[in-house]
Amino acid sequence: MGVVALAALLGLTLGVAALVVSLALLAGFQTHIRSRLLAETPHLTVTPAGRDAFTPADGLAEKLAALPGVVSVSPVARGRIWISISGRTAPAQAVGRAGTTGLVLDLSQARPLGAVAGDDVTVVSSRTRLSPLGPVPIAVSMAVEKVVPASTGRREPEAVLPLEAARRLFALPEGGASAYEVFLADPRRATLAARGVVDALGGGVSATTWEEANRSLVLALKLERAVLFATVFLIVIVAGLNLAATSAVLGATRAGDAAILAVLGAPPRTVARVFLAAGAGVGILGTAAGALLGTAAAVVLDATRAIPLPAHLYSLAHVPFRVDPLELGAVVVLSVLWSFAASALPARTAARRRVAEVLRAV
Amino acid sequence: MPSEGPLLSARGVSKGFGAGEARVEIFRGVSLEVRSGDFLAVTGPSGCGKSTLLHLFAGLEEPDEGAVEVGGRSWTGLPPERRAALRGEAIGFVFQFHHLLPELTAEENVALPLFLADAAEEEARSAAREVLGRVGLSGKAGAFPRTLSGGERQRVAIARAVVRRPRLLLCDEPTGSLDAAHARSVFDLLSEVARERAGAAVVVTHDPEWAKRCATMKLLTPNGLTGV
Repeated sequence: MGVVALAALLGLTLGVAALVVSLALLAGFQTHIRSRLLAETPHLTVTPAGRDAFTPADGLAEKLAALPGVVSVSPVARGRIWISISGRTAPAQAVGRAGTTGLVLDLSQARPLGAVAGDDVTVVSSRTRLSPLGPVPIAVSMAVEKVVPASTGRREPEAVLPLEAARRLFALPEGGASAYEVFLADPRRATLAARGVVDALGGGVSATTWEEANRSLVLALKLERAVLFATVFLIVIVAGLNLAATSAVLGATRAGDAAILAVLGAPPRTVARVFLAAGAGVGILGTAAGALLGTAAAVVLDATRAIPLPAHLYSLAHVPFRVDPLELGAVVVLSVLWSFAASALPARTAARRRVAEVLRAV
Repeated sequence: MPSEGPLLSARGVSKGFGAGEARVEIFRGVSLEVRSGDFLAVTGPSGCGKSTLLHLFAGLEEPDEGAVEVGGRSWTGLPPERRAALRGEAIGFVFQFHHLLPELTAEENVALPLFLADAAEEEARSAAREVLGRVGLSGKAGAFPRTLSGGERQRVAIARAVVRRPRLLLCDEPTGSLDAAHARSVFDLLSEVARERAGAAVVVTHDPEWAKRCATMKLLTPNGLTGV
């Protein structure tokens, strides 16, 4: 293999490797974001249609739990609150969940209040109760259980408080819920499950999937991946053009050999195939080497946690890399196809040279 | 191909290059018939168009006037695919320089015309080894061209030209790149192999001494071929 072909091979190898590593980096981050999203967001949120809340008489928890693919069903009480601490007050969206013993604040909610774990706060709801003095806002005192890192995906973070306290704050009946959060065995089937819930329970409920709840984020992630793929694939395009130049040089320097093949009885398409195979061979070799190099680099970088991240700023201790087999396949197929396309024209030109003229020159 | 007809026939062939005032006529009115068993030398000074004439015989170029037929089939109007098939089947070519493919061994170079004709690999290699044995290179089948001497390379090129037992062997200054001793042995070998494995042979050479060793000799002039 000549120096020119070696340079083309190296260019393509590095281009494909760069593309694989970039996509692995993005896939690593996106996988982490999606897993956090799936952990934080219920796969289905079932809310009442045409009324404020579900009552125990609806028996909805049992009905939902009986549906196929449902792993768990939890009632929640959701509403708007004001959190007050040491004279500072801030509004917040809140949700009451079973199993919570105190107020869990998102970092973005805790910061303006100066609240830390252990602080006593007063939570006031927009609902009122009747007192001898007339309607007064419902208020509950509780301790801040913990402050958690900023949540992923939601437009507005939610403070979490004990379910019973939330029911009191939002004036829900005993055992009532403003929604049910459903977790599924396979979150990818959420859309199908949502349809199943509405079909099974009739028109009194509506079901929102985790993807619908985070539509803008999910779309942004997909778009980000597509844009990065297209941008970094430009490297492969340029490497492929280099391959075209190499094929053209090969066609010119080996014109004598092409002429000999023609003299020996090779038809033009056979001569073209020989040059196409030479060019595309470099393409296939470069693509394979690049895919291997990129995959190996991504695996090693991830396994050795080679790029650390400041844990107090990110929810990750290191930069994650994840090679998606489908994306890797797409890179390989597109790169090989491009190599063929880039070699086709020079191969055709080499096959169409006038044999006698070439023989006179060699 | 009818065996009783000429293997090669040229009628009133003219060829020139360029156009208008820059046009240069190389030769015109070349007529020739080569029959089975002929061993013809075409001679003439350098630049008189001997190689061009050979290219016309092999269908590598189109004549400006006249027609060339090989085994009764005219090159004129033949599409590229059929032209290549006829060339591969009917013609063997030996050049002044061996023009072996450097990446292939001697055996693979000789087997190449058979590979191009879609012969089975083992069959092609076996035939190549047989012809290499005939040109005295049985021990060099696995050697690459760069490791062979000039004479050996030309022997491999001769073996490649006759491996398909062509009807017509066309040789363009086949000893032109060799020293006198090698040139003699290669020319002798060429004569023998041509008689054994080819229907007829046309050798172009600028050297009258080599031309005289052929059965028939013709001189190429701007006005055609003349007997010598």
